[in-house]
Amino acid sequence: MKRDEPLDTLSAQALDAAWLRAALAPASPYGDRIFAELAAFRPGEEVAASARARRIARIAQRFTPAQLDAAREVLRNVPDAASAIARASMGDTLGDANLLELQRFFDACERLDALAENDADLPRPASEAVRVCARALELGRAGRFGFYLADGFDDGLTRARAAFAQAQAEYDAVRGRAAAAVARALGREITANEFIVMRADLAGPLPAGVRVVREAPTYLLCELDADEASLGALARRDEAASAVAEAEEVVRARLTSSVRAHAAALDAATRAFGECDVFIAAARFTQLHRCSVAEIVADGPFAFEAGRFVPLELELAREGRSFTAIGMHLDDVAVLTGPNMGGKSVCLRTCGFVALCAAYGVPVPAERASVPLFDEIVWLGAGTDAEMGGLLSSFAREVVRLRDALARERVRRLVLLDEFARTTTPREGRALLVAVLGRLRALGARALAATHLDGVADAAGARHFAVRGLRGIPERPATDDLHAALVTLAEQMDYTIEEVTHDGARRSDAIALAALLGLDDALTARAYDVLDGAS
Amino acid sequence: MHVRVGDSILALALATGARSLFVVGTGKNVGKTVAMRAMYDACLAREILPALTSIGRDGEAVDAGDAQAKPRLFLRPGTIVATARDVLPRSPASEMLALSTLRTAAGTLVYARVRHAAHYELVGPPTASGIREAVATLGSLAPYVIVDGAIDRIAALAGGEDAIVVACGASASNTLDETVADVRALVARLCVPKLERGNDALRIEGALTPSIAAELIRAGERRSVVVADPTKIALAGHAALHALERLDLRCERPLNVVAVTVASIGRDRSFEPARLLRDVAAATGVPTFDVYAASAA
Repeated sequence: MKRDEPLDTLSAQALDAAWLRAALAPASPYGDRIFAELAAFRPGEEVAASARARRIARIAQRFTPAQLDAAREVLRNVPDAASAIARASMGDTLGDANLLELQRFFDACERLDALAENDADLPRPASEAVRVCARALELGRAGRFGFYLADGFDDGLTRARAAFAQAQAEYDAVRGRAAAAVARALGREITANEFIVMRADLAGPLPAGVRVVREAPTYLLCELDADEASLGALARRDEAASAVAEAEEVVRARLTSSVRAHAAALDAATRAFGECDVFIAAARFTQLHRCSVAEIVADGPFAFEAGRFVPLELELAREGRSFTAIGMHLDDVAVLTGPNMGGKSVCLRTCGFVALCAAYGVPVPAERASVPLFDEIVWLGAGTDAEMGGLLSSFAREVVRLRDALARERVRRLVLLDEFARTTTPREGRALLVAVLGRLRALGARALAATHLDGVADAAGARHFAVRGLRGIPERPATDDLHAALVTLAEQMDYTIEEVTHDGARRSDAIALAALLGLDDALTARAYDVLDGAS
Repeated sequence: MHVRVGDSILALALATGARSLFVVGTGKNVGKTVAMRAMYDACLAREILPALTSIGRDGEAVDAGDAQAKPRLFLRPGTIVATARDVLPRSPASEMLALSTLRTAAGTLVYARVRHAAHYELVGPPTASGIREAVATLGSLAPYVIVDGAIDRIAALAGGEDAIVVACGASASNTLDETVADVRALVARLCVPKLERGNDALRIEGALTPSIAAELIRAGERRSVVVADPTKIALAGHAALHALERLDLRCERPLNVVAVTVASIGRDRSFEPARLLRDVAAATGVPTFDVYAASAA
């Protein structure tokens, strides 16, 4: 699929793009085909991206979750009739399984059409061609979901089947009489074609109508012989069966010709059906994750309020915790600081996720969002180290990825730097980060750099955002339970992000966190001593 | 003494309360299809219109392996089948009930109702989960389900409430004694009893493999060795009998073997029918039938 075009593999992993694609995935094979063709919107396509997101939002608003879920259930259970339509168009005579596929598809079209009635945003798959072909198949409806090449399709078929039924009955009677006579003579039932007669059970010769297949000292392997009457009845039955086969093919050919005559329109119906599926999936995503339509701007800030990184929000919800929604405003480049485990990386991911949703033309998990379209969304730094092989150090890998990103001739890019240059000396790392932000600004990029390095924002002339951090020193849990420590941390941490003007040394709360996570008291006390001495 | 084999086995199966029956063979060409056909006919005689399917392939006109003629399934109107769409006879037309996404060796699975008597080939899902899904669907369409099973797919028996018929025959072994030993091992394995409460037990997660069993025997394990169900005992033949003699094997969900059928006539050899029937019955302790000779022991 083409949808992750703005992302390379590592950035896609960091932003959980696979989760987003799965969350937007349609329910039917028709939808899958349309979904696979979709590409992310690029700079210059703001109007189209915005129109698509607005259309999805209107669908999400107009229909209840229950209505959309019911539609998804219809979509999920409909068989794929595209192959049958294609085969009919190329001259094949369709089989009964194909005809059932088509009937089920036509039924699903009607159901979606009923849902989409009076709605301008959902495509209408039930065209006139669908209705004509559905009527042609209607006689074959068997029960609620079945299809049978019923007698009513053709008088010739009715006659052929009646003749076959009579021939079969005659054959059964002849064979039945023969088997019954043998069974009576032998005093046993005859169910298999081949049967064993124990010599000890035989008082005299074998009865008439029995042929010996194999002789053994204690038994005879036998089978029922076919006499003249049986062979005659069998011939008449086979002839009648051939007549039925011919009559059935006549009906199948007629039904197929109807499909062939409307193949192009039916093909269009499958596309409309698939598009409907894709829109319904996106609308359901919008409802589930309380998304809103972003203003897609050609040239303006990347900004949003109450943004959420949905994969993490769901993970936290499973643990009974809540996600602290965050806001961001990027005119060009900015710096984000804050304590360890304070949500800096999550803020970066939220930015990337919101930008990705906008690029896919779907409402975003944020409020009052203003989002440009990007040619490229690049994640640099933590979380991508391990993917580039063992020859390069962590720092070298970051630099190589940065070099490649800067070398690409893209008009517009969003660069998310997660503790870039964290593995070199703070002095040089800071210098490098300041220079990188300067270059990104010069290139017209939107960039957000999360860092523990001091003074980067001032030196780069960038806006500075900070996580508020711990409200106080958290109490260590009574046990070494890591989960309990994380819950305590979450309770004490204020994940709110605010713009700050003073770029002085800020707390990272690292020692308090180390204590909370289980480092012993003596060690952390010594660390505080060192810190106080240093300050 | 002659008996109505199909009806006798069906009566045993129905008495368990199970609504499905698996026929499992000790090998190929041991009379599974013939046994299945006898039980199918017995169902019809009792005015039960059953549903049929197969684990993998069965009912074909010739053996896909050696091109020899095989017994076929001639089905009557009203019978439900789950089979691959590519082997469903084009004529006479069947009533197509549902299309499944389950894959088989011959295309996706379809559920169909026989409308005109005809020969059918059954090609069902090859996987345990697939066959369980198919049996569940067939159970919603028909009052009784008969499955042509496979010795190498007994995992499909796990998690079901089925009655089981074990088929053995001359085709699967070189000698009569070997046939008897094989079926004895299979039946003993499938009949591993349920763990009683209070027993000191060692639970085996997953399969009881030959190496685990050998280690337990070497260690002189005295506790009950418990598997989830008998299909988790990955032992056959002499290894199975050896382990069953030396370990107190138990399970949490026992299976339900109701009968054994014997086929004394094989492709390359045949055994004396009365002796095979008698010896298999004595070795397994399960009601044993010869469909070909219409006899029981």
